Amino acid sequence: MTNWMKRILVTGTMLAGLVTAAHADPFRIGYLIPNPVGDVGWSHELDAGAKAIQEHFGDKVEVQTVNSLGEGPDATRVMDKMAADGFNMLILGSFGYQQDGLKLAKRYPNLSVVHIGGYLNAKNFSTLAPRHYEAAYLCGMAAGMVTKSETLGVIAAFPLPEVLNIMNAYVLGAQSTNQSLKPVKVIWLNSWFDPAKEKASAESLASQGSDVIYSLFPGTPAPVAVAEQLGVYATVTHSDNTKYAPTKHLCAGQLNFGPVLIDKVQQAMDKAFKGDDVFAGVKEGTIAVAGLNNDLSADQKAQILATQDQMRAGTFNPFTGPIASNDGKDAVPAGTALDDAAIKSMKFLVKGIDTTIPN
Amino acid sequence: MDALVFVLAGAMATATPMLLAALGELVVEKAGVLNLSIEGMMAIAAAIAFMVTLGTHDHTLGLLAGVVSGVLLSLVFAMLVLVFMANQVAAGLAVGILGLGLSALLGRAYEGMTILPLAKLSIPVLSGLPVIGPVLFGQDVVVYLAFALAALIAWFLYATKAGLKLRVIGENPATAHALGLWPVATRLAAIAFGGAMAGLAGGYASTVLTPVWSQDMIAGRGWIAVALVVFGTWRPARIVVGAYLFGAVSLLGLALQALGIGIPSQLMTCMPYVLTIVVLVVISADKVRIRLNAPASLGENYRPTT
Repeated sequence: MTNWMKRILVTGTMLAGLVTAAHADPFRIGYLIPNPVGDVGWSHELDAGAKAIQEHFGDKVEVQTVNSLGEGPDATRVMDKMAADGFNMLILGSFGYQQDGLKLAKRYPNLSVVHIGGYLNAKNFSTLAPRHYEAAYLCGMAAGMVTKSETLGVIAAFPLPEVLNIMNAYVLGAQSTNQSLKPVKVIWLNSWFDPAKEKASAESLASQGSDVIYSLFPGTPAPVAVAEQLGVYATVTHSDNTKYAPTKHLCAGQLNFGPVLIDKVQQAMDKAFKGDDVFAGVKEGTIAVAGLNNDLSADQKAQILATQDQMRAGTFNPFTGPIASNDGKDAVPAGTALDDAAIKSMKFLVKGIDTTIPN
Repeated sequence: MDALVFVLAGAMATATPMLLAALGELVVEKAGVLNLSIEGMMAIAAAIAFMVTLGTHDHTLGLLAGVVSGVLLSLVFAMLVLVFMANQVAAGLAVGILGLGLSALLGRAYEGMTILPLAKLSIPVLSGLPVIGPVLFGQDVVVYLAFALAALIAWFLYATKAGLKLRVIGENPATAHALGLWPVATRLAAIAFGGAMAGLAGGYASTVLTPVWSQDMIAGRGWIAVALVVFGTWRPARIVVGAYLFGAVSLLGLALQALGIGIPSQLMTCMPYVLTIVVLVVISADKVRIRLNAPASLGENYRPTT
């Protein structure tokens, strides 16, 4: 693909590394981002996290960000080189970096690694995952409030447990504010990245009556921009997309990697790095609703924000029973709530979602 | 009914980039040159067209800029294979990768930006007809242009003297040269035309079909165009059928999912590829005819010795 360009980037990064190595030893952090950094989306929020670290620690740290690496051998080479060059810490921003990152952590015991979006841990290899589902529940509440056709549409990439828990939370949120909701329609893209397909999916859902479209882990802002053109509401993960749908942006789950990452960097600098499993949500300031549409009344907004406050206080878990799955099973019995492990490995869809899990 | 209109009307626009690029490649291959850099030409044109459209708010200028950038990249390919006699497959792949890389580099600052799409045609009464209205009379202008170009290319190849000469060169450039034809100049013109078509296709993909710029947004459509030419056995009408079939079936998957019909979505994702191949293989099952249609010197370089 764009190998030659990556090579230039990588070489540039290394040269920068050589030049700055002469300074009075700042704490060096290598920060890998899988895709180009746009104005919104996963890679943009990761980049914002890198900037937050640099801003918080100033001269004491040196963050070297490399983006557009994909998940292949280019990324592996960059992280290998960074570790060999004596970087103190690596922050890896994509699921696919897990295996290679873990190998590096084992080979370099003094290296602290934070991997975002995985499930494996080691002494110096920490996992960080945002609780997307919390914001999804809140955006679902907004969707339930504004829908006139009582029909919600969801565009999702692949049926991973994380995608399922986000989708479920969204639908549970919508059901909590709207009792007459029709079955929620889902389009599986089976692709992480195809803007034309994302756009066509939004059009397909809107043509069949969905008046709120949820773009779950979008590759691009295409579905949100199309929703504005079609006159239907858009809800979205990762970033506030209001600029792509000035009048129809209903709600977004805005990520903020700054606080948790600053915490991890501080641990590493204090030689107290924990290879723990960080599942960070509203409470840790990692995610919050953003870009709420002004078509929501003040009362409705207050209701959403009140639920968010409950999440912050730790008194509200969207996956509190009774919850039935859409194949008629009792997924979460009354009086119980799913723990983090169960949420992270979710394999069912809640009642009211009109799709099957492709497998 | 809404789903039907969505599929039939949307298929036209979905198919257009693949159709344009495939028609261009058809002319190139009929002249005996295999240009595998379509994906790269589309990518670079998509980037340039997007940047120009964003800056000027004029789709026509944007598409023209896309055409020009497609031609320029195709000339790099032409230089490699016509002047330096490089292997066509290797040169095509290399130029294609160059195009993808350049498009990513140029588009860096534009990542995720959006522009308004081209307006759809609106004819009083006709566009308002149920089903037929949105399908036939509610498309953007490039869709009709693609249709017209398909007819024009078919006419050029099979009903004009220039088209006959081009096909002769594709069959046997040495004989053509002996007859007094100009194989190198003709191939150069064909390659540039292919570049222009791929450029228009790429520009359409980034400014009309998906009015958002993102690296790698062509997402394999250039390769589908190459495949359409082969599976359509170098016949314009079959390429048109193949492209629209591909567009319709890929949208059908999305429509069925939105209807909530329980077909596994992976199956629907691979259906466009499977069905297009099956249909085109069936309609062109006659091996003799394939051999008649395939340019005999495809992929072979030729330089006049005298």
